[in-house]
Amino acid sequence: MSRNISLLSGKKDDKDPLFNKIIKSSDDTSDSQLAEQYNLGVSTIHSTKSFYDFLQDNFKNKKAYLCTGSACMCRGTQQDVADKLQAKFGKDSVGEMICLGRCYENSAFHINGKNYSGNDINNLDAIITGGYQSKSYEMQSYSKTSFLVEDKVFSSYADFKNLLEHILANDKQELINTLKESNLRGRGGAGFPTGVKWEFCKAQESQTKYVVCNADEGDPGAFSDRYLLEEQTLKVLFGMLACAYLIGSKQGFLYIRGEYPESIETTNQCLHKLRELGFLGKNILDSDFEFDMSVVEGQGAYICGEETALISSIEGRRAEVDVRPPFPTVEGLFKKPTVINNVESLAAVPIIFKLGGKSFANIGNGKSTGTKLISLDGYFNKPGLYEVDMSTPVSYIIDKIGGGFKENIKAIQVGGPLGGCVPVNILRDLTLDFESFDKGGFLLGHASFVCIPESFSVVKYAKHLFEFTAHESCGKCFPCRLGATRGKEMLKYAIEDNKKFSHELMKDLLTTMEEGSLCALGGGLPLPIKNLMQYFPKEFKIYMNE
Amino acid sequence: MNNMANKQQSVFIDNIEFPFDNSTSILAFTNKALGEKIIPTLCDDDNLKPYGACRVCSVEIQHNENTPKRTVASCHTPISPGMKIFTNSDDIRSLRKNIVELVLSDHPPDCLTCEVNGNCQLQDVAASVGVRKIRYPKQGANHIDREKDLSHPYMRMDLSKCINCSRCVRACDEVQGQFTLTMTGRGFESRITTDNDMLFGDSSCVSCGACAQTCPTSAISDVFQSKSVEADKHTRTTCSYCGVGCNLEVAVKNNEILSIRAPQESVNTGHTCLKGRYAFKFYNHRDRLTSPLIRKNGELVPCSWDEAFGYIKNKFESIKTTYGPDAIAGISSARCTNEENFLFQKMIRQVVGTNNIDCCARVCHSPTAWGMQQSFGTGAGTNSTMDIPLADLILIIGANPISAHPVTGAKIKQRVMSGAGLIVIDPIKTEIAKLADYHLQLKPGTNVAILNMMQYFIVTAGLIDNDFITQRCEGGAEFIEKIKELDVDAMSAICGVSKETVKAAAIAYAKANNAMEFHGLGVTEHSQGSKTVMLISNLAMMTGNVGRPGVGVNPLRGQNNVQGAADMGCQPHHGPGYLWMNRKEIQQYYEGKFGVPTPTTDGKKIPEMFDGAIDGSVKALWVFAEDVVQTDPNTHHVKKSLNALDLLIVQEIFMTETAKMADVILPGTTFLEKSGTFTNTERRIQRVNAAVEPLEGCKTDGQIIAEMMRTLGFDQKDYDAAEILKEIADVVPFFEGVTWENLGLNPMGLQWPVNKKGEDTQILHIGEFKRGKGKFHYYDWKESEELSQHKEKYPFILTTGRELQHYNCATMTRRTSNVDILTKDVIMLNPKDAQDKGINKGDRATLKSDRGEITLDVQITKRVKQGVVRTTFHFPEVLINEVTSAVTDEETQCPEYKVVAVDVLRAS
Repeated sequence: MSRNISLLSGKKDDKDPLFNKIIKSSDDTSDSQLAEQYNLGVSTIHSTKSFYDFLQDNFKNKKAYLCTGSACMCRGTQQDVADKLQAKFGKDSVGEMICLGRCYENSAFHINGKNYSGNDINNLDAIITGGYQSKSYEMQSYSKTSFLVEDKVFSSYADFKNLLEHILANDKQELINTLKESNLRGRGGAGFPTGVKWEFCKAQESQTKYVVCNADEGDPGAFSDRYLLEEQTLKVLFGMLACAYLIGSKQGFLYIRGEYPESIETTNQCLHKLRELGFLGKNILDSDFEFDMSVVEGQGAYICGEETALISSIEGRRAEVDVRPPFPTVEGLFKKPTVINNVESLAAVPIIFKLGGKSFANIGNGKSTGTKLISLDGYFNKPGLYEVDMSTPVSYIIDKIGGGFKENIKAIQVGGPLGGCVPVNILRDLTLDFESFDKGGFLLGHASFVCIPESFSVVKYAKHLFEFTAHESCGKCFPCRLGATRGKEMLKYAIEDNKKFSHELMKDLLTTMEEGSLCALGGGLPLPIKNLMQYFPKEFKIYMNE
Repeated sequence: MNNMANKQQSVFIDNIEFPFDNSTSILAFTNKALGEKIIPTLCDDDNLKPYGACRVCSVEIQHNENTPKRTVASCHTPISPGMKIFTNSDDIRSLRKNIVELVLSDHPPDCLTCEVNGNCQLQDVAASVGVRKIRYPKQGANHIDREKDLSHPYMRMDLSKCINCSRCVRACDEVQGQFTLTMTGRGFESRITTDNDMLFGDSSCVSCGACAQTCPTSAISDVFQSKSVEADKHTRTTCSYCGVGCNLEVAVKNNEILSIRAPQESVNTGHTCLKGRYAFKFYNHRDRLTSPLIRKNGELVPCSWDEAFGYIKNKFESIKTTYGPDAIAGISSARCTNEENFLFQKMIRQVVGTNNIDCCARVCHSPTAWGMQQSFGTGAGTNSTMDIPLADLILIIGANPISAHPVTGAKIKQRVMSGAGLIVIDPIKTEIAKLADYHLQLKPGTNVAILNMMQYFIVTAGLIDNDFITQRCEGGAEFIEKIKELDVDAMSAICGVSKETVKAAAIAYAKANNAMEFHGLGVTEHSQGSKTVMLISNLAMMTGNVGRPGVGVNPLRGQNNVQGAADMGCQPHHGPGYLWMNRKEIQQYYEGKFGVPTPTTDGKKIPEMFDGAIDGSVKALWVFAEDVVQTDPNTHHVKKSLNALDLLIVQEIFMTETAKMADVILPGTTFLEKSGTFTNTERRIQRVNAAVEPLEGCKTDGQIIAEMMRTLGFDQKDYDAAEILKEIADVVPFFEGVTWENLGLNPMGLQWPVNKKGEDTQILHIGEFKRGKGKFHYYDWKESEELSQHKEKYPFILTTGRELQHYNCATMTRRTSNVDILTKDVIMLNPKDAQDKGINKGDRATLKSDRGEITLDVQITKRVKQGVVRTTFHFPEVLINEVTSAVTDEETQCPEYKVVAVDVLRAS
């Protein structure tokens, strides 16, 4: 957490951030020149590069990439995909990416800036030739009032303009009150009230503030952000513009996962159009409001979904988690007050402003309000992305929306790799809201549903989660950096070498990570592991000494 | 206040109540409240920002009885009133133990053979949390086979011992601001490296050692193994390199120095540079002089002390008889203690009987002392380096603090990186200039022109502080009228900087809430040096930037005790305490104090001593630890004058270029072998404590002088620093309350003036200037005679400076591993000039001036503008002063090292 690097980075250029330049810097000479321009050491450039999967030579030299996300793994599709990719491109030319957001039909892979899934693997020749179109997914709103997937109330540039005029004509505090009234809570997982966050940042005395859209929540199993960026781009961008106007910001960034190339492309096209129409830039709609925003492309580091790591990343620092306080609303990007919101939170904003805060607040249980996107993976009979009211019974989601399962499912991991692994019978009794999941000891997160079938060993699933955490740990805090690797090793040796691990040591390790970790990655991993050990003791018993 | 409110304002540590305060974190609060560090930590360091990596400092907290206990890292969790902190619950103990067990699962188990055994934070923490066994599978991944990096002359890296706490990286960033060290890779495979994976020795490391000092294990250490527990004694003392006055902790075993570290509670807050920390091996170098030498038949041969003293006595007596005492002169040493300087001037004045006493302040900051005395009434820095964090804008004129005053330079750099404005006025693009908002890269010798422009623009923009000018100053109105008439277009052409840039910088300076000025020899070593200082004083006065924290006019003094040497009276016109020697009442004052008559004739300044040797008015010269041949300008002239003397006495530790010409050499000692006090650039008097005994054959310089005084018939006791300090305190008014004991008790030393009660003064001129009203001066720019006479024939301007690795003429640093880092002097030449002169990379160039010529290696760089060349004077192989001029500051005779007319030719 170098305050100096943050400040030097922002002082030099807060429009085209250092990270963009580091990505493009191709050799030692350009690294040194970049460092000199910023009055930094070349160490800063080098160490940042070394942090990201996509910037490694042994990643860049690959021709195709296999998705190693949880849903594809559980579905058992990836060996076939790997074989076919290797046959086509050669054994050493196939790399890995973690979760391409194709969990609804699995068999996911990436070639040349595009993602594919399902039966696409059998059309490699057409993909290589070009012009091949991957098919879309099931998508529908089950909500009384749709805030996120509707396209009648707010989806055109004309809608954008009208609502923007409305915003510019209204009192800022009134608008923030509307947002507070809606009780929209952050969809990134923590559930912090969005209106309160904006109000807090608005109150900061600073000439410079930033709005950042966190589109790097790479939870394997979730593809809701991808949907919103690709299909509801205007809603997300409007949310950012409204936030900028209300808090007094002139510059925003959308930090989008590099694993979602189509999201980046669509967003960039949309930003270009908004600029053309005069909705971005100086004197927006002839007012004195000035704002622009740009896309920063993630480079393959899950930790960047953590807000302080994301800020570090844009600044060109290593994406290590920073201590809080100060919170980003006080000292965020380039150490200036910053609102950092999840994609889904921002996307809900326009229709809340259009229909009023109450329309959102009236949905749900009063504490969890409005609608929520859910991602159902390929084990559901009707996989896809759906909008539901908060507090919808999970049984309804499984049976009616998802249409039940294709195979016997023993547990579902809801809310990403750090979410609870819940036996289906327990899950059916929950309702889809923060409170019900919290009470059950689970996590709502992005409300992604990854099914673990009866045939899949939960011990292997636990090992997968440890591996994921070990790979994605930023390495800053000791419990996560060391603990994830040690946990991975204990399970690996048990499964592969028949060396049983100590139950007591595993419990100590999980408590250490849970209580001691700096952020939710190391701190969150123990929840699903403990769930699996609790609900499936028999499976663990053969690998474990009491 | 009712009981409820009381409880609200309390914090409970393990159920014991403490008053809430404004500590920044639970850890800081607990350490302060308990007065001891009961919470273990591996990644926290008082000099670094809270980081939250190791999590060993975790505690449980509870905000009130209705909320559950939470586990938090105490280093970065804020304290709040009413909070209950549990530092040692069962859960916390087991959490800490389990974290440390994880750490040890990737750490070599060989404590007993480790260099830091017994002084290792990991070892201490592991013992305190009670880790006995590593339960994780032995075949797990680890990094204990990492190879050591031994490529650096001083630093050592052994990443097998690294625990990834990032303290080294943070120290490199937050303390030194160098950004050499970094973490690379991610997660379990992340590791420390330098630059873009360079070897330590090939990296951009400046060897400050902050990383080694903070590293909790031996992952980063140094060749001296400064963290080992080998030493049988640690002595705290004050560094004898630059004027920053860093405190050092010297580890000694069997009268041999093992290593040096920087104490935390000090003016340097646990930091120092490679000179202070690592360049100490000169102290017992085989080149040390270890016997008095006397010239017989043209050869310097060893002799006894008695013979040496007797010889000098006889010579002095015969010269005094024939020519009078004013034919004898002494040059004192700014490298030596206040007590030694005091004693030396006492010998010259009270025993020999002449005011021919001067010191190297003459050739560096005499214009500062003179100029600030004219403007403010005190010729010393107004503020303290600890004010730097309070400055909103820093103005640096003719100084290169990153190299020449590294710890102050690092502090300035940190302040600038954290948002303060920076203006640099310097012909060279120095390290700090790279960070400047405005670098006014002027032509050497045009300081007066550019400062007049700045004053003009501040006045015409209406940004002057009228209240300050009218209430606290005199001559303001006249000055303002005069400056308004300045021809800024002409001045802009003269200094080679656009009006717009100077105006913007001037306005930034004037608009800053707190503007703090620093200057170095780039201000003083000019024909208009004293005038420049007075104009800097004007700037500060017209904007009200004097007399409060975070502002002021602050010279960066070069030598460790150049402030002290002048304070002690080693100047011809001033006796101890800056009292005028030519005033009757002062002569009587000293006579009363010393009990012997005081000389009444005017003394000679150093250049006058040299001239006197040639014209025959000076017959004997005692040079005390100063290499005038290598460092004074116009070497040819200096050598000629030394040759003309009847007697040259040199008191030295090495056979310097000056010593080689001596008739008698008296072997003195280094600062590590003696006690006394140094006064740093902020008037801070600090104790020097002998770490080892003087080398066999040598005497402390104070003792040499004392014995000489006795030989000359004066009843002088043996050198005892405490006793002489008592005498100084009796004579020098602003030392009144200074005692050996109260300096010893105060890790920050005392800043003069120190009153009778021992209270010191951080900031001068609060409320009123020492001279009553601050005085404005107006001066026109005038071209140096050096240029007006020689620029046709010698069209380039040579300016000189220093590099980080070497100190002055490098008598000391050349006898340390610093020579492995920087091996030679080079000439910096602009690429365009190089092209015009047909000089290529790898070539050598000859510099010619009206005095002589030298040949040296070329560095082609844009750090110098066209028409300007720059070099250093560290190596005797290149005697740069062969070419420097005899032009001096009009008021003080400080030589104009910074402007020399030369031509540059490709050497064949």
